[in-house]
Amino acid sequence: MTRFVTTTVEIEGREETKVVEMPAFDPAPWGPDAKLEVVGERVPRLDGVDKVTGRARYTHDVRLPGMLHARVIRATVPAGRVTHLDLSRARALPGVHATLTAADMPRIPWLGEEPLFGSEIHYWGQPIAAVAAETEAVARDAVRSARVSYRAEPFRVDLPTAGSVRTGHFGVTPPEIRREERGNVAAALGEADATVTATYRVPVALHQALETHGAVVSWEGDRVTVYDSTQGIFRVRSELAQHLGIGQHQIRVISEYMGGGFGAKSSCGAYTIAAALLSKETGRPVRCVWDRHEECVDAGHRPETAFRVTAAARRDGTLVALDVEAWVAMGVVGWAGGPGKIFQEQYRCPNVRVVQHFWYGNVGGMEAFRGPFHVEGAFALESAIDLLAQKLGLDPLEVRRKNHATEDPVKARPYTTELLGECWDEVATRIGWEKARKKKKEGGRFVRGVGIASQVWGAAGGPPAYALVRLNRDGTALVQTGTQDLGTGARTIFAQIAAAALGLPLADVRIVIGDTDAGPYTNTSWGSMTTPSVGPAVRMAAEDAKRQLFEIAAELLKSSPDQLEASGGRISVRGGAPSIAIREITAKLGDIMLIGRGQRGPNPEGVTMRSFGAQAAEVEVDRVTGRVRVLRIVAAHDCGRVINPELAESQLHGGIILGLGYALFERRESDAKLGRPLNLGLHEYKIPTHADIPEIDARIISVADPAANHVGAKGLAEAPIIPTAPAIANAVFDALGVQVTELPLTPSRVLEAIKTAR
Amino acid sequence: MHISLTVNRGTHTMDVEPRASLLDALRDGVGLTGAKHGCDRGECGTCTILVDGRPIYSCLALACEYQGRSIETIEGLADGDELHPLQRAFVAADALQCGFCTPGQILSATALLRAHRRPTDAEITHAMAGNLCRCGTYPKIRKAIRLAAEDGGGR
Repeated sequence: MTRFVTTTVEIEGREETKVVEMPAFDPAPWGPDAKLEVVGERVPRLDGVDKVTGRARYTHDVRLPGMLHARVIRATVPAGRVTHLDLSRARALPGVHATLTAADMPRIPWLGEEPLFGSEIHYWGQPIAAVAAETEAVARDAVRSARVSYRAEPFRVDLPTAGSVRTGHFGVTPPEIRREERGNVAAALGEADATVTATYRVPVALHQALETHGAVVSWEGDRVTVYDSTQGIFRVRSELAQHLGIGQHQIRVISEYMGGGFGAKSSCGAYTIAAALLSKETGRPVRCVWDRHEECVDAGHRPETAFRVTAAARRDGTLVALDVEAWVAMGVVGWAGGPGKIFQEQYRCPNVRVVQHFWYGNVGGMEAFRGPFHVEGAFALESAIDLLAQKLGLDPLEVRRKNHATEDPVKARPYTTELLGECWDEVATRIGWEKARKKKKEGGRFVRGVGIASQVWGAAGGPPAYALVRLNRDGTALVQTGTQDLGTGARTIFAQIAAAALGLPLADVRIVIGDTDAGPYTNTSWGSMTTPSVGPAVRMAAEDAKRQLFEIAAELLKSSPDQLEASGGRISVRGGAPSIAIREITAKLGDIMLIGRGQRGPNPEGVTMRSFGAQAAEVEVDRVTGRVRVLRIVAAHDCGRVINPELAESQLHGGIILGLGYALFERRESDAKLGRPLNLGLHEYKIPTHADIPEIDARIISVADPAANHVGAKGLAEAPIIPTAPAIANAVFDALGVQVTELPLTPSRVLEAIKTAR
Repeated sequence: MHISLTVNRGTHTMDVEPRASLLDALRDGVGLTGAKHGCDRGECGTCTILVDGRPIYSCLALACEYQGRSIETIEGLADGDELHPLQRAFVAADALQCGFCTPGQILSATALLRAHRRPTDAEITHAMAGNLCRCGTYPKIRKAIRLAAEDGGGR
């Protein structure tokens, strides 16, 4: 009999209450001292060979017989109405098979309540129609031949910073304003020994996954097969079913390999819908893939945000108040999380006021981007902490230690585990903090500095997530789960978890993911939640299969199931001699298949689960050119159990390097008068290259968090980007004695800051 | 137009439009999809292949101009099931995450090691700077190139 319970799952700062069924049994937690095989080992990525040989097939690479190529016609005004859309020339081109406009399709709510391919235009680059042709080149010709007339309307693409923002969603709805206060900020400010106020600003940043958004769809009879570059195959399936008005059982979504997501590939895209409808219309498979320019206009972004921060403390550095007002440029649509949250949860501060303005303007909608909102907020918060430390004449690391939140300051309850203090100690030692900070800055052209920043991130995952483990008659196992691998190594670590739980060598375990027909439901891969959500489901499925094996083995070994253990492919009586190979048991069973079923259980009550980390950066600033060179980044992170240290280290590198780009170069510029983004592409929008990478020393210092879930793992992927840019900015502050208050830290801004300091 | 390309020591004939890029000819004409369309503008390096041993951005090359040249793609790098030392090193050093840029990275590194059996840091930076990776595998790619250099990767 199934018992249902409610549980809370946090996804990127927003909490969702879910009703889930209790698992049939609860495996004993893998604590810090658990002796595990395979888990914790530096196993090479299982799909490494496919990726180095070119065998890995990405959505972009899918080639189906008779496949057509679709492209989208996009608005060339930032706001207004399509008054005339003429596709007759496109349809007349040799090789063009079909066109798709709002008139040819069901009404699919897209921008709020407005339909996909609707005639109301809200941003430059908004899709208004699509074509399908024999080749990509002919489809491009068809797009160019379309004749579109508009009635232009007023628009706004830049972010107002004043307190009175009047423009709203499509110029109609007022901006969403959220006010939250803990304690009494006004009273606390009156009693502080030192107060600083500053404004900080961060730019629009683009995900720029190297595989652009796209899908290949084949609609055959009542079956729709979708190859999609997505972080959530089940989410694409349910959304597409709803959009098309068909059953979920008719749709199969496949994402075997995908070329990066970083948060922007979490839902069903216009490319998927267009490809599906054009496939239905033509009877042929249709591929629809954004090009790099489209990726820079219509694939989401990290929102530009302006902050006004007041931080106040006692003489000894104890924070008494944080007061922050933030203006967030969402684009036409978006998810209003909030850059204020990190102000509430990073440090122990009794009085915190957060006012957030979510402003909707005429640019493409934002999408969550690795550590959404915390990345933006961390720059403002951590910069303000260093400014306060300077005013107090205190070491910024000491100020952080003074305000160490050893329990959750928002909910006033304990953390399952919390190693932020150890992370600070670790990075301080490795960067040589004491010595570097005390070093007197010389007056020459090149000046060095070090800076530190902290990170907190909800990354505990949660239900629902399911897995199956099937034992073959030769004693090998097949793991099936409906998750996907964005490049994080999910495929590898779940095979490791299954092998460890079954007591099988990794070589005897095969895992199938990325296919809604081949594995049961798991959540979207966002919020650093894949490992802590799917990991326990996979472990439980393996334990369930092992439990069935143990029942048979107990009879054969004349023991009882609770006396048995499995390791290296054999089951033996604990502490005793008799043992039997798993493959011997399955051979005896013949074609009787043991199937283990696993699910993610509810999260624990009354505790908060977080991942923590700290990073320190050393920089050299050229006072003549304003160029900032990052020399070294050291990082220490706390994310519970590490399933594979090699892959975890890769995640740390990835976050740090993404944060480095955010700190130094990245910014999408839009022209306020033209109403369109200007720097499209990877030449104009600069991301880090091989030549930009400093020495990186990144480690994970945690062992296991068995209170969070029975695998003991928390998520990691997003955490390491959060402290990188503020650590670099604080190092520049240390070098120059003056803050550069806007990212990216371009030479002109650095020179401007040097000038104002004089 | 009808063209003939020499790819991984084999000859492939196909019909392409005169404007077809070498990348499109490889992906759609020959059916080798290891080289990717990251930008189609010569900015990202995911389309990197070797022509007469030198790395080029195949998205910026016209297919019809490469007849008679020796073209190598990632699919031709291994010797049957035996991986090239760079391929082995990329797996061993975890010098890849999503893997989308990996074929291009490995081919740029192949040309580097053929020219410099023991490349310096500066030579690695120079040879690899045209291959972007958004997952941030750069430190491990550097490590993999050094590993492969020790493993006879310049062969």
